[in-house]
Amino acid sequence: MPNTPLHRYVVKVAGESGQGVNSVGEILAKSLKETGYQVFGYREYPSLIKGGYSCYQIDVSDQPMQSSSAECDLLMCLSRVSVHAYLKTLRPGGQLVHTLKALQFSPEEEQWINERQLKIEFVDAVQIAEDQGGKWIMANTVVIGILLKMLGLSESLVVRILEAEFAHKPDMLAVNKQCLTAGLNYQPNTLVPPQLAFTKLPEIDNYYLMTGNHAIALGAISAGVRAYYAYPMTPSSSILTYLAEWQHETGMLVKQVEDEISVAQMTIGSMFMGTRALCGTAGGGFDLMTESLSMAGMTETPWVCVIGQRPGPATGLPTWTSTGDLNLAVFGGHGEYARCVVAASDLESAYRLVGEAFNIAEKYQTAVLILTEKQIAESLFLTKGFPQPAPIERYLVPDSELSQLQANQRYEITESGISKRWVPGQSPVVFDANGDEHLPDGSLTEESATSAAMYDKRMRKQATMLAELPEPQYFGPEQPEWVIVTWGSVKNAAIDALELLKTSKPELKVGVLHYEYVYPVRTEQLLKLQSQVGDNLILMENNYTGQLGGLISQATGLQFKHRLLKYDGRPFFVEDVLNYLEETC
Amino acid sequence: MSENCSCSFHDYYSDNIYTWCTNCGNYGIHAAVKRALVAECCEPKDTLLCFDIGCNGNGSDKIGGYRYHGLHGRVIPVAVGAAIANRRVKVLAFGGDGGTLGEGINHLIHAVRGNYNMTFILHNNLNYGLTQGQASPTTKLEMKMNSSPDGVSSTPLHPARMILSLNPTFVARTFSGDINHMTEVIRRGVRHQGFSFIEIYQNCPTYNKATPHQWYQDRIYDVSTLPDYNARDLNRAREVAEDLENKIAVGVLYENPDEPEFLKRVANRQNATTELVDEVKPGSIESILNRFNQ
Ligand SMILES: Cc1ncc(C[n+]2csc(CCOP(=O)(O)OP(=O)(O)O)c2C)c(N)n1
Repeated sequence: MPNTPLHRYVVKVAGESGQGVNSVGEILAKSLKETGYQVFGYREYPSLIKGGYSCYQIDVSDQPMQSSSAECDLLMCLSRVSVHAYLKTLRPGGQLVHTLKALQFSPEEEQWINERQLKIEFVDAVQIAEDQGGKWIMANTVVIGILLKMLGLSESLVVRILEAEFAHKPDMLAVNKQCLTAGLNYQPNTLVPPQLAFTKLPEIDNYYLMTGNHAIALGAISAGVRAYYAYPMTPSSSILTYLAEWQHETGMLVKQVEDEISVAQMTIGSMFMGTRALCGTAGGGFDLMTESLSMAGMTETPWVCVIGQRPGPATGLPTWTSTGDLNLAVFGGHGEYARCVVAASDLESAYRLVGEAFNIAEKYQTAVLILTEKQIAESLFLTKGFPQPAPIERYLVPDSELSQLQANQRYEITESGISKRWVPGQSPVVFDANGDEHLPDGSLTEESATSAAMYDKRMRKQATMLAELPEPQYFGPEQPEWVIVTWGSVKNAAIDALELLKTSKPELKVGVLHYEYVYPVRTEQLLKLQSQVGDNLILMENNYTGQLGGLISQATGLQFKHRLLKYDGRPFFVEDVLNYLEETC
Repeated sequence: MSENCSCSFHDYYSDNIYTWCTNCGNYGIHAAVKRALVAECCEPKDTLLCFDIGCNGNGSDKIGGYRYHGLHGRVIPVAVGAAIANRRVKVLAFGGDGGTLGEGINHLIHAVRGNYNMTFILHNNLNYGLTQGQASPTTKLEMKMNSSPDGVSSTPLHPARMILSLNPTFVARTFSGDINHMTEVIRRGVRHQGFSFIEIYQNCPTYNKATPHQWYQDRIYDVSTLPDYNARDLNRAREVAEDLENKIAVGVLYENPDEPEFLKRVANRQNATTELVDEVKPGSIESILNRFNQ
């Protein structure tokens, strides 16, 4: 089959929750990587343990990609419901392989199949597995064999995985290997192996394939985090899982706590004492943490929290994606105080931002919130490796100065708003970290002039931060005619689309201005670009109201005339961007 | 008191003027806390006192040591986080019956389960003092309070009964009218490795006229005066803790020094020779990273 104009080949494995769709998808992604292809893996699944339908989609190319396409070329379905759910995601000429006896299509589906000239193949994978002496679940191994054969991939990695999994069950291993071979030897009726016209890059085998939450967990280790507290909540739960899995190697204290209020308070308590502690949650959990955010603001205790976004309100779409919690991070919590909000978009930023967040939190003695999304947290990305992490900077009073300290230096009124910080056990000069308004040594005050002066001092940190934190990143031509403004994973679909347009529509000059440091929001570069492109700024966000756009409007008065917003729980697919630019530019 | 201890009562002194009512039980509690800390040789440098929001919390700047005065109902988890991070610093936390048994009761329950290494002191004055005398979870039935003009209708909580039901490792009671007794109980709580729960019946001359110091004085007895009292017998502790009206048992009701404190229960930390605060340096990710290019 010819490669699509997207220069990708897309495989989707679909089935019920509990059928092992995720494992099949991951194994396939690893095999594709081993063969030397670029891959991007994307999961869709419902918030239940058994039933429903879920899928694992892998986009394959020889160009780097960090987003998915809306349509697929090969759909492998393990359950009836998933056939009906995903049939219409097949591109014209696409192929459906399924394992369902007596599968019936509706007349409307029949028509779709004919119009799109879809090929359909039934594989009795369960029967094949049983013929090898295996159980029904080993149909998955048969399916993997068929997919490997279809895509021309080697089975060596799958064999290694099976050998590791069944190291202590030699008979199980033997049956699984037979199922794999049976899949590899499967003789299709209608199925045509695609001719993937992608250049294989052998070095890709050395790349790392992982999810954004893996990168956050690794970033925490590099940043010297010694305690991680959390209450399970998708899409952040797996940070807790991974750090717990590695705790014997890292010595990190990893603790599942009774609720998010405790999570936040314990993290702040550990930070106050002088270690580095991290916590992670989703929007709903962060709602419970906002009083603690306010407490960190008043007591000027550094605090770093990861907020994995998913669509709300309430429980919303628990296993889907969104960037709807920027306002929550920026405006959450009672009262006014300085804070910093950063947003990851991919593996590299997820890893790097953890260390940067801690340095900022400790420098400005404030909360730093790291936004991520289900799309980043659980998608499979490839990376060559991580950048050298930022050196750990604690900004604590050095030992040499401890003996000259005075208690009223702890919250001393300074021009930058930043005062000296030291921790219990460090100095005989003690202070009160007071959540009530206080004097420079933390003693309570309600006096008007002092209250205002302390308020000013704390708020000055916001201005200091704004002056010192980085501008957004610009990708694209020097003289753009259009600029897409993004934050979070949305950037990835935009950049993937622009890469394709470079060859298909070279006359279109579009750039991307990407906010990684979202709040306090810097606008110099945006305004400079606006002077070049005028109204041709496109706000692109995975939410309804365009929350970054709101912050920018608040800071500059600028109103975005063009807005590409999506809030159905799905990420932006590369076609979404291509179609929008087609219509708009 | 340790021989080379240089710590004195004066080290916990503060110039700030108390703002509690005349005869408030908090004065005595502060005095006992200071005495216990000095007697246990806890230097202010190595002591963290965490205060809830309530009348007791308004004393946070009237005493020495490092202090954290955070949010209403949240003193336990913030203190737990601090205690976990550095065991060289003694952590004590203080909360009222409102904040502890109303707003933040879940934290108390889980702190007992976790057996975190800290001392928690419950200032039980049977009402919400700072917000002017509303009912708390320990206010007695039918008591007329601010905003309960017809009397309290919910069954009062029995703190010791609840804590003793959770298989705690240290439970004690004392009352704010006896500084010596409070001092001894707090000392034992501070020495205990694990979560020490100390309930102090606190005089509130403004909003609780029903049970002043004298009321307690007439009813309390120390469990050590009971023949054969064994503080390691949980069922016995549950029995003697019951009566809150006629003969009220105080002292160390229950103590189990054999149960390891939180970090000693955590497999990957129990043999650590350093504290979490000592360990902040770039961790190596090499070996973990290599699992992702297989
Ligand atoms: C979240 C929150 N809710 C309510 C309050 C108001 N508040 C302050 S102190 C207090 C009750 C204090 O009672 P208690 O904890 O028994 O302490 P006491 O003042 O009696 O020592 C309340 C309700 C608050 N500060 N924060």
